[in-house]
Amino acid sequence: MPSKTNGACKGYGLGVIALLLSFSLFAQTTITGRVIGKLDNQPVLGATVQVKGSKAATSTGADGTFSLKLPGNNANPTLVITAIGFEQFQIPVAGRTSLGDLSLTQSNSTLNDVIVTGYTAQKKKDITGAVAVVDIKNMKSVPGSTTESLLQGQAAGVTVINSGQPGGGSNVRIRGITSNGNVDPLVIVDGVQGSLHDLNQADIESIQVLKDAGATAIYGVQGSNGVIVVTTKRGKGKATITYDGFYGTQRPLKNGFRLGGSQNYADVLWLESYNEGTVPGNLWFGKGGATYAPPTLPDYLSPTPYSDANGTPNPSYTANQNPGAYDIVNNQITKTNKVGTDWFHEIFKPAPWQQHSISASGSSDKSSYYFSLNYLNDQGTLIDTYLKRYAVRANTVFNVKNHVRIGENAYIFFKENPQITNQNEGNAISYAYRIPPLVPVYDVVGNYAGTHSFTINNSAQPVAVQERQKDNKGNDWQISGNVFAEVDFLNHFTARSSVGGTVDNYYYYYFNYTPYENAEGSTAQNGFTEGGGYNNTVIWTNTLNYSQTFGDHSLKVLVGTEAKNYSGRGLQGQRANYFSTNPDYWTLETGSPSTQANRGLTTAYNAGDPYQNSIWSYLGRLDYAFKDKYLVSGTLRRDASSKFSPGHQVGWFPSVSLGWRISQEDFMKDVTWLNDLKLRGSWGKSGNLGNVNSTNPYNLFGSNAYNSYYDISGSSTGSTLGFYASNLGNPATTWEKDNLTDVGVDFTVKHFDVTVDWFKKSISGLLFTSPGTAFIGGAALPQVNLGDIQNVGFDGSITYHGQVNRDFHFDITGTFTHYSSKVISLPPGIKYVDYTNAGSNRIGSFTRFQPGQPIGEFYGYKVDGYFKDDADVQKSPTQANAAPGFFKYDDVNHSGAITDSDRTWIGNPNPKLTYGLNLAASYKGFDFAAFFYGSYGQDIFNYVKYWTALPQVFQGNVYADLIQNSWSPTNLNPKYPKISTVSGFSNTNVINSWYVEKGSYLRLKSLTIGYTIDPNLLKRVGIDRLRIYLQGANLFTVTPYKGLDPELQGANLSDQTNFGIDLGNYPANQKTYVLGINLTF
Amino acid sequence: MNKLQRKYKILLPGVFLFLVLLVACGKKFLNKPPQGTLNPSIVANKDGVQGILIGAYSGLDGEGLNNSGWGSAASNWTYGEVAADNAYKGSTASDQGDVVGLFQWNATPTNGYVSNKWDAMYDAIQRCNDVIRTMRQAKDISGADTVEFKAEALFLRGFYYFELRKIFHYPSWVDESVTFSNNNFRVPNVDGSGNYVEIWPKIEADFQYAMANLPATQPNKGQANKYAAEAFLAKVYMFEQQYDKAAPLLDDLITNGVTAHGDKYALQTNYSTNFDPDPGAKNNPESVFAAQMSVNDGSAAAGSGNGNYGDVLNFPYGGGPGACCGFFNPSQDLANAYKTDANGLPLLGTAFQAGANVSDGTAGQYTGNLDPRIDISIGRAGIPYLDWGPHPGDSWIRSTGDDGHFSPKKNVYAKSQQGTLSDVENNWANVELDANNVNLIRFADVLLWRAECYVLGSAVDLAKAEALVNQVRTRAANPNWWVYKDGAFDAATYTYKGGTIPADNYKISVYPLGYFANAAIAMAAIEMERRLELAMEGHRFFDLQRWQVAFPGSMTAILNTYAQIQAPIHPAQYKNVTFTTGKSEYFPIPQDQIDANNASGKVVLKQIPGY
Repeated sequence: MPSKTNGACKGYGLGVIALLLSFSLFAQTTITGRVIGKLDNQPVLGATVQVKGSKAATSTGADGTFSLKLPGNNANPTLVITAIGFEQFQIPVAGRTSLGDLSLTQSNSTLNDVIVTGYTAQKKKDITGAVAVVDIKNMKSVPGSTTESLLQGQAAGVTVINSGQPGGGSNVRIRGITSNGNVDPLVIVDGVQGSLHDLNQADIESIQVLKDAGATAIYGVQGSNGVIVVTTKRGKGKATITYDGFYGTQRPLKNGFRLGGSQNYADVLWLESYNEGTVPGNLWFGKGGATYAPPTLPDYLSPTPYSDANGTPNPSYTANQNPGAYDIVNNQITKTNKVGTDWFHEIFKPAPWQQHSISASGSSDKSSYYFSLNYLNDQGTLIDTYLKRYAVRANTVFNVKNHVRIGENAYIFFKENPQITNQNEGNAISYAYRIPPLVPVYDVVGNYAGTHSFTINNSAQPVAVQERQKDNKGNDWQISGNVFAEVDFLNHFTARSSVGGTVDNYYYYYFNYTPYENAEGSTAQNGFTEGGGYNNTVIWTNTLNYSQTFGDHSLKVLVGTEAKNYSGRGLQGQRANYFSTNPDYWTLETGSPSTQANRGLTTAYNAGDPYQNSIWSYLGRLDYAFKDKYLVSGTLRRDASSKFSPGHQVGWFPSVSLGWRISQEDFMKDVTWLNDLKLRGSWGKSGNLGNVNSTNPYNLFGSNAYNSYYDISGSSTGSTLGFYASNLGNPATTWEKDNLTDVGVDFTVKHFDVTVDWFKKSISGLLFTSPGTAFIGGAALPQVNLGDIQNVGFDGSITYHGQVNRDFHFDITGTFTHYSSKVISLPPGIKYVDYTNAGSNRIGSFTRFQPGQPIGEFYGYKVDGYFKDDADVQKSPTQANAAPGFFKYDDVNHSGAITDSDRTWIGNPNPKLTYGLNLAASYKGFDFAAFFYGSYGQDIFNYVKYWTALPQVFQGNVYADLIQNSWSPTNLNPKYPKISTVSGFSNTNVINSWYVEKGSYLRLKSLTIGYTIDPNLLKRVGIDRLRIYLQGANLFTVTPYKGLDPELQGANLSDQTNFGIDLGNYPANQKTYVLGINLTF
Repeated sequence: MNKLQRKYKILLPGVFLFLVLLVACGKKFLNKPPQGTLNPSIVANKDGVQGILIGAYSGLDGEGLNNSGWGSAASNWTYGEVAADNAYKGSTASDQGDVVGLFQWNATPTNGYVSNKWDAMYDAIQRCNDVIRTMRQAKDISGADTVEFKAEALFLRGFYYFELRKIFHYPSWVDESVTFSNNNFRVPNVDGSGNYVEIWPKIEADFQYAMANLPATQPNKGQANKYAAEAFLAKVYMFEQQYDKAAPLLDDLITNGVTAHGDKYALQTNYSTNFDPDPGAKNNPESVFAAQMSVNDGSAAAGSGNGNYGDVLNFPYGGGPGACCGFFNPSQDLANAYKTDANGLPLLGTAFQAGANVSDGTAGQYTGNLDPRIDISIGRAGIPYLDWGPHPGDSWIRSTGDDGHFSPKKNVYAKSQQGTLSDVENNWANVELDANNVNLIRFADVLLWRAECYVLGSAVDLAKAEALVNQVRTRAANPNWWVYKDGAFDAATYTYKGGTIPADNYKISVYPLGYFANAAIAMAAIEMERRLELAMEGHRFFDLQRWQVAFPGSMTAILNTYAQIQAPIHPAQYKNVTFTTGKSEYFPIPQDQIDANNASGKVVLKQIPGY
């Protein structure tokens, strides 16, 4: 039934477009001209040329020319020419057919820039909401494969944390953290919900970030995390072909994890025992003497030199070194790498990066087209990670007479993007510090060597882990965009209908090899998994716009409806025991039939459970201005979501915002140094339903082979169907509610443009797993609306436009963002929630979520230093396994004993301030740009130390400086505790402040030098513009942090409770050098 | 202009009509039921309740439950053996660091392993309660069927509570009235005056109902029958030191008891059969009740699997069967306990701890007589390890300094069973996931309880106690299943066929008539026999716990002695470690559950003494 109804609704959608298209009007004469800049006489691209009081308009091409058909109903038309960065220019046509060159005066003011906001566009001077406009040129001065990663430091109020992984996601937060779950902003591309992730940057015309309720409330239940509005390019002017491309290389970090070599590692293993007064022994170094002496490294790890830990020689040690005795299971002959394998640089290699984009565009008064092709190949420095993307965009608009426009935006891409699970103790990066340096990459016959030959440690082999991925497939096809029709009627009305969305189809397969080289799993069966699925979004939007000016009053009204339908399913099959590991042999048919397992859903590629949900909305907006100085704006949206049960589906989201352009007041007219001054204020509500499942209202049973099946018949190889309570419902649940207040000021003083906002964003009814106890059983508790978060902060941007002389210009833009996200309250019955990290949970939960504290704050024992000696242990509060050289914890509650209740707040991963600084200058044909990004005041939980400074933990590799900087009776306050075999509460087993380090950093994100060849020289060969540039990225980072990179994403990007924790991040600070070309003809 | 106005006359009503249609389709547009789940009304019938009951059984393996993990393993290897004197944790010092607190007897309430067990068992209990709740909603279930469903559900509930009672001392009692929607899920373990409530009587009641209403035989081998319920009821009485209540039940089991399949209870000829994952060997007449394990049934690809996931860590490291993870190494103390004297009798009390160690790899290691059961319970150097070849010694040990020299064996499958009775599905632990059942009660266990009742009950009969112990020892003395150096291991019979040279100096005999001269000797012999017969099967700590009540201080003495002996050879594990009477017999209730139950400020769930 529902699907049939949906079909009918879509039918209406196409119907209304047809209805809108049934309009026809008038005939005209043509006027031409060329628009140039007054200062440099260069053609102005993309200037809008409009007939005053009419909708008839066109834009200039790359050579500045335009051609516009004049409507026949105006006897003496005047053309209005507007362009970003120039003053408005008006000229009466006065019967001419060509206007020749029209010079525009360069402007420092952006007040008349048209900014696309929610469902509408406004001039910047009329905007009362907090909207950050991203400078696309600055944004593109940093090489990046995903657009969201480039927002870092470019938009005030937006905090972005990236990784170095090709195609990896980013943590994007607009004005703080609005939820413990997913806080991804809503992204609107050309009016339709979309994604920044795989956009071709060359297609982007503009990006606006909507931050306050005045701007976001019109997106209702999806607006709470902020909204990013992207507009892609349209054809402008004469037919133009543009090529943008670069080729570059990314360089791995030089220092890696600062680990030591083989002898250092062996010495540490020996010291562990001697420090505890015992004599060490193992199969590789034999038995130690009575006192410490460095062990001798054996020539071979396999065969082992000794047959037991007492140092009894292995009688077949020499015989088994004979290549003829090689046996991959029982005698994988492996030589010791006595110097030490530099695993970090075995898996991180210099990698090429290239991107090429060609577009063709143009427009006439009848139509405009923009067509582009994009190829991206971003090879990660971590071997066998890459993003390859092939994309096509086609944007067209047809003007039917002057009053009807129909068009489409279509973006189609295909990508292959094998990734690692970043920030996880089980990925190749973590294995690079977990695997001992004695292990070589290959054994004597060229198979992978690993911990199967050196079973003191259990690490997997990082090179093998990555190289075995290379034949896996992970393909994704997406089509996104919309078709639309707009009709202008009765002079003041425009009706628009758009049907759009996204079709995402993914397909993948992967092979699990028998990891014969590993200590663990060396005989595990191989297996093959293959799957695919889809995610669909269909959005149908209808709006009606009314706009009119009555004397001093200007009024704009928008009303509309929107229907959104989301659905997705996936399937996955697998078999094991493949006769051959040859990729050509891999199909679901060729594995052993008895190992077959199917799943109707998959957790791979984020597909999750099959889902379907929908939102049905009404929306309205009113903008009123009096004398262009008193501005009032109000929005209202009503959303109904299928995720909630009837009676709780509907929400209303209002907002009101006010603006006062003080500089327009008479008493300010004489203040000449002040070009513009506007005070803004807004209040409103929006919501978030991203963190609730469609199952939430219902009590449900489920059935799953491992959860609820049981071999009741005792067959050993089959089990009987069973059920279990899978979900507990809460019909009263609804969305998270956001209350946003914003006060801002925009002013322009001489060469400065300044925007500063203060905001308060209170989230109430935070979706939270219901309070419960284990007594309820295993069914998933519903989300309930309890708990509040508050974000307070300020953000802003300052731009300085400098002009030294006709040849030398420069711009400086700084943005800064501060937020503090605090938990205000939790559901009654919950004092706190501890969150475990998706990447590793070996020593418990890193963070605690508790009222009064920032989100994501680290919680554990505070280290007061090391126990000095036995006397110190005796006189200190009782502490389990306390010993000299171990951590002495702070007795926070002065109980005389260290217990769970002595845990306290030990670090805050939220930065106090993030900032970006763009410097751009041009001199004659040269251009120069530098972009600095900094993050100040955040703490880092350096969990890598668990593996590299506490050798007893898993006997992984250790820091090169571990021995000299660890505790000893003569070194009482070193960096590291005593090297020991003992593992317990006082050293290895709990979260404590020893791991917490300062993480502020300042980074030169990019430095660009470009040269544009004099267009007059190129005219002859038909080239309009040719620019060549050289770019360096991440040239330096200033930070006290000694790990790979202080920029640390969470292990799970949809979880805001665990970030700033270093598990061996795919570094985002690798140096990159790029040579690029921009060409237009 | 007229033409234009006409057009608008059509357009405006058109748009209006269209908006009305939008509203009309809006409601159905919002109807999006969740996918891949069952509405409760779909299972409120006989087949549905049957399925929910299977779901309740599926908790027996300890996995696939709320917060389940190795801390909720059906075998209780951590609590039952590692926390006692039979086994080391294994692996490296901090691997699965939560286990350290268990065997050092100082677990904190935030320990993840105790959380696993607590949460998993209450999930299983609510599955039992779901059977009763849903059964009452169904319209097609006869009265007799409701009794049968209820009896099976209460049997399982009784079992799960038994697990909680012996680990946590004072768990709360959650019956079918406790649900999320009833908002009564903060359930006290104390009475109105704040005194702990003892739940043994309620566990008895569940088993009594099950015993009274379950049939003697069942269609499925893995199903609970009347005698399984009776055996658990007897076990409850043993834990309550109510020997006189246990004795008649145990007598009835010995005389009349049959398995769900109708086979009369009996010791297997071959001791080793009890550890064979073959469906023909499992659920034999010695298996009173077991957690059924199955592999290659599509479950491991989806999650932790229906095989013995709780024990997947417990395999030799770096070679042999399995590819991971070197946990659960039998202790030197356990190996030494298998020493026998010249007459083939065990060295009772602490006598076995004197002298050289068994198989510690030193030149002076023990060379005397041994009970042959050692080589079924313990993998040690040079002894055939099923058909995996001789155990190579330290090269199968992950960290000898931490783990000693031995490997677990009872939970391990034979090489010839690999791929059929071990898992081959895509799962990280497929090589270690096997179909070895976890024997929850073996008939040998029943016989030894009965012997204990003859010593500690009111009708003392030491001769009968001795006879029962000897019944167990007689089977142990049958050379048919012993490990032989020269015999080929035959997976079909789980014996070393054709072998003539025993793998070590096996010498075992029954106690001579009258050896049980007094209660002290009788108890020492029974305690030792239980340790030797049931080693590594998850019972040792709980036996010590029972005897700590019967003989106050006995558990404290045994375990502190053990720790002192271990401290020099495994200082990282046992240096300065003490067992505290009145605390260490149990494990703490998880702190998060205490916090959640006491959220209002009132103490609903009270931490047990000592923590």
